[in-house]
Amino acid sequence: MRSSISFVLDGKVVTEDFSKPSVTPTTTVLNYLRSLPTHKGAKEGCAEGDCGACTVVLGELDAGNTIRYKAVDSCLVFLPMIHGKQLITVENLKTEAALHPVQQAMVDTGGSQCGYCTPGIVMSLFALYKNHDHPDRNVIDDALTGNLCRCTGYKPIVEAAARSCIHQGIDSSSNDEIRIAGLLQSIPRHSALIQTSNHTYFQPRTLLEALTLKHQHPKAIIIGGSTDVALRVTKNHEQLRQLLDVSLVDELHTIRNHSESLSIGSGVVLNEVWSAVEADFPALADMFAVFGSLQIRNLATLGGNIGSASPIGDTLSALIPYNARVVLERVSGRREVELDQFVTGYRKTVRKPDELIVEIILPKPKQRSVVKWYKVSKRKDLDISTVSAGFRIDINDTNQIQNAMLVYGGMAERVKRSSSAEAFLQGKPWTRETIEATMPLIDNDFNPISDARGSKEFRRIVARNLLLKFWDDTRKETNGAAA
Amino acid sequence: MPPHKSHNKPVKQAVPHESASKHVTGEAVYVDDILVNRQLLVGRVVYSPHAHARIKSFDLSAARCVPGVHAVLSYKDIPGHNQMGPVVKDEVCLAENEVVCVGQAMFLIAAETEDQAREAERLIRIEYEHLPTILTIDEAIAQNSFLGPSRTMQRGNPDQELQKAQHRIKGELRTGAQEHWYLESQVCLCILGEGREMNVFSSTQHPSETQALIAEVLGIPKNEVVVEIRRMGGAFGGKETQANHTACWTALLCNATRRPVKIRLFRDDDMKMTGKRHRFLSRYEVGFDDEGNLLAATFELNSDGGCAADLSFAILERAMLHADNAYYIPNVSVLARVCKTNLPSNTAFRGFGGPQGMALIEHVIDRVARFLHQDPLEIRHKNFYGIDSRNVTHYGETVEHNRLHIIYEQLVASSEYDERRKAIAAFNNSSEFLKKGMALTPVKFGISFTTTFLNQAGALVNIYKDGTILVNHGGTEMGQGLHTKMQQVAAAEFGVNLDKVKVNATNTSKVPNTSATAASAGADLNGMAVKNAVDTLKSRIAESLAQYWSEQNPDTSTAQHSVHFENDSIVDIEHPARRISFADAMPLMNLRQVSLSATGFYKTPDIGWDKTKGWGKPFHYYAFGMACTEVLVDTLTGHHTILRTDILHDVGDSLNPQIDLGQVEGGYIQGNGWVTTEEIKWDDKGNLLTHSPDTYKIPSVQDIPKDFRVHLLQNVPNPDTIRRSKAVAEPPFMLALSTWLAIKDAVSAVANHAFEPSFSLPATNEVIVLATEDLKKRMRENPPGEAPTQ
Repeated sequence: MRSSISFVLDGKVVTEDFSKPSVTPTTTVLNYLRSLPTHKGAKEGCAEGDCGACTVVLGELDAGNTIRYKAVDSCLVFLPMIHGKQLITVENLKTEAALHPVQQAMVDTGGSQCGYCTPGIVMSLFALYKNHDHPDRNVIDDALTGNLCRCTGYKPIVEAAARSCIHQGIDSSSNDEIRIAGLLQSIPRHSALIQTSNHTYFQPRTLLEALTLKHQHPKAIIIGGSTDVALRVTKNHEQLRQLLDVSLVDELHTIRNHSESLSIGSGVVLNEVWSAVEADFPALADMFAVFGSLQIRNLATLGGNIGSASPIGDTLSALIPYNARVVLERVSGRREVELDQFVTGYRKTVRKPDELIVEIILPKPKQRSVVKWYKVSKRKDLDISTVSAGFRIDINDTNQIQNAMLVYGGMAERVKRSSSAEAFLQGKPWTRETIEATMPLIDNDFNPISDARGSKEFRRIVARNLLLKFWDDTRKETNGAAA
Repeated sequence: MPPHKSHNKPVKQAVPHESASKHVTGEAVYVDDILVNRQLLVGRVVYSPHAHARIKSFDLSAARCVPGVHAVLSYKDIPGHNQMGPVVKDEVCLAENEVVCVGQAMFLIAAETEDQAREAERLIRIEYEHLPTILTIDEAIAQNSFLGPSRTMQRGNPDQELQKAQHRIKGELRTGAQEHWYLESQVCLCILGEGREMNVFSSTQHPSETQALIAEVLGIPKNEVVVEIRRMGGAFGGKETQANHTACWTALLCNATRRPVKIRLFRDDDMKMTGKRHRFLSRYEVGFDDEGNLLAATFELNSDGGCAADLSFAILERAMLHADNAYYIPNVSVLARVCKTNLPSNTAFRGFGGPQGMALIEHVIDRVARFLHQDPLEIRHKNFYGIDSRNVTHYGETVEHNRLHIIYEQLVASSEYDERRKAIAAFNNSSEFLKKGMALTPVKFGISFTTTFLNQAGALVNIYKDGTILVNHGGTEMGQGLHTKMQQVAAAEFGVNLDKVKVNATNTSKVPNTSATAASAGADLNGMAVKNAVDTLKSRIAESLAQYWSEQNPDTSTAQHSVHFENDSIVDIEHPARRISFADAMPLMNLRQVSLSATGFYKTPDIGWDKTKGWGKPFHYYAFGMACTEVLVDTLTGHHTILRTDILHDVGDSLNPQIDLGQVEGGYIQGNGWVTTEEIKWDDKGNLLTHSPDTYKIPSVQDIPKDFRVHLLQNVPNPDTIRRSKAVAEPPFMLALSTWLAIKDAVSAVANHAFEPSFSLPATNEVIVLATEDLKKRMRENPPGEAPTQ
């Protein structure tokens, strides 16, 4: 059993054995870097993954032993999670001879003013450089959504991205990639148990190990991508004593495409889920397009977002209309639960303490189903929903509604369906009159609250309006059958 | 790395920010990055959880016993004055018997680790007696709770002229607070020297005031305190006075523990503890004729100052001085007052009251236009200050070098305003839920501190024997490119390449008694001071070289006035063979016992302002600009998209077009945040609800205009400023009012512009959706055709 972690930093394998009290298993990568005299580039702007000033790039080996580069918020990653990975920081990009092309472009366009967000922006641009050639504006915007800049107004930064990301990802470090890949391969990948005076951190490699640990330690906090759990440390300053990190469990990272359904492992990160669902589940793709930031989607897992059962968890309101099912497993066996039945209350689910979410099954929608997903938030991107809504209607040949599912986030203590509106819609023609008659019924099913994101009244109006918007958007797609 | 690109013409060139290559490599050192020895302690501020309470008792004994904790301080442990008010002495450093807002500092802890400091905080016992709170402007007005007396300004007889006007409308406007959201939160590091010496590294816009307040709380002379700041990670006014707080607290802990101490406020604590842009409740009545000519106006401005004065009076004054924006109003009165509430003291923020004053008059114009069923741009244009007449403001300053008309003509054409106005109307006729809107709004912003004596700056320029130059000046670098501009000015004046000039970290031991870097005046003031120092040095060098060359050539002496500085050389232009490289000249000057270090000083000429009469010339000049913004609004969700923005802005002869364009673009986007998504909310106990970026939303990359065209007005040198340039910084912020009014224009289209939408600032999606609902209701109650505008 491994009791230390190893990763590549500055071109060398670094091993941490957690013997010093200053480094614990819940030390974030950001705080670790800033504790070193040579890595002060990454900055803390918010400690919650909203500003991106701490962005670093992780290099990970794929199945073919090629390094894949992902920008992540280092304030949300616990140090043990980078075991076996390459940690690339802003200090690593330039050579003796020249700045990296993304750095030079930032200088040339005037992309930095106060410079505090700049190291994070440079790292997002570096990941963009590695992953895209001649990216279009949408790709550039998506790469930079997780980096807030208060000075520039972003225009020169977008320009720097467009100017520099034109070399198929090849840069001065490309020659060293094979050596780095070799270093990463040399790092043993077996299971770990890291024990300090305050923490027990399990890092199993197989699902059986993970389930066994969960059986033995049902109170252990599960870590998938840590984007939610890390906030308990960085924002609430909690001491998390027992953690079960399932990020190295290969079985949880599989995506299987069947003819009737898609099965997604609970540990698949959201950015990869997005690619997998794009073809058959357009409403899910719409949801991911405004979900967090690239840095968050590179860490957060589908199982984690569902399991946290937040009333404003966007995946829930988007998956339920697709009749998604959750597969729960424990040592003694596995079961399937309708996602609609999975969440029972505010951050409460039917998952037993010794169970893990292992898979999410998405039945492919039938021809006559129309599914759409909407989000209303103060800022369009990288914001939490004030109200979200996932809608599905099945309409027959005579424009009658056979089935309707209206799922709302942000309207109750959990993601919840508007059952009276759904019942009313049954058998009605899909017309504006029907919609306008339905809109007031939505009020019966919810008693929303006023909070920092919006007032109760606003939530009520928007919940109604979104149904109208759904009708407006879909009438064109139902062959003009409606008036 | 190769050296800096060669720049032989250092000014008016788009040279990169002097720290750009350090920014992009992570080498730029901010206060939190300074390497300190292992003795460093973590400082923590314990603040009030209550908006208003009497402190009945407190007990620090348990907290002081936590292992690793080196100090737990209360007000009783302050060796000097318990006072941090920058202008009015009404802000204690640590609470004594009463707390007056949530977030007010009460105790300070220094510990070896943050966990230990938090543990100590948990063990502090405090007993409170709750007192009544005032948490809104409305409550403050109702209870007569104000900071200081009200202010008035008047020209003509507005009351009488209002009665005579063909049309009159009245109403009120609420504009919201705004959080600075500098990426680098408040931070200070203190390191002891010998004896009483205190070395302070503070992220502050006002090192001299930071120095003074630290000396006062420690009870030591100012010459024992050195404050240094290399660069800030953003400030925007938020570190003009309120950096002093963190600095004073850090110095107290450093002094008490005799070890280095650093306080860096955690983001949520920073947002809860520090002041914001003042929210305003403004009331107005305006009289105008059928043509839309403004005849008279009365304005009442009520700002929320929070619990203490801070800079609220100066901010209020600037709001009063900008309630006209670009418009001549023959009869005006402005009544203004600062409400005292139980919230953290509100403070400077880019625009400094200007945005709130301008929002009011732009809102008024917009209403007048809707009332008259005219395009608001017509009304704006009609009321612009004139060139030769109608050109005196309501406080008596003549609008000289008026660029409004030239900018208007150029921007209306380049933005294709008229064609797009028609296209928007056509789109709106065919789209029920998605609506487009557009607005073109001007900015006229006065440049100078309105507290006249603050318009001064100092510099210290050293030349070393290798010919390199070190510039010290009183301004601070917060990202605005001030050091770059100062480097350019010094290089241009000495006729040397940019890479010969380095700008030093701002340090109170180099240039003393400085004003804050604020009021957009950093480059204007410090640029002139640097030039003054350079002129002194050049004169000494020229005199000595003239003597030297005359000694060498007894027949044809060199006159001092013939000695010129150009192309990294010094030359006698009458005898061009007498040329010496700048670098070679300096050892010679040293041999000839010439002092190669000189101070410079500048004070703005010809301004004068009688605060009590509200009359005079408070501003050295005005900066102008205009923006045309077109938006698409989804009236069902309240989401908006900026389709296109055209900006034309006047910076005189730009010292550095790249930096100035960056300021214009950045200011506009920051302003867009204020007018759209940045909403500050408190609960009914005075707790800030929007205390993290989770709930407080500044613009992201996806919020900028899809088509963003920004230009600087060309060929308009500004007389009597450093190299004929103009200030930038603040004025572009207010270009964002075009976004706010474009959104309002789109919402107004819901009712075909027949009704005035109920609108406030920011136009969050909630404001948009509620205004839309309200318009639909009014349309149902008053079918079109029968509906009056008001």
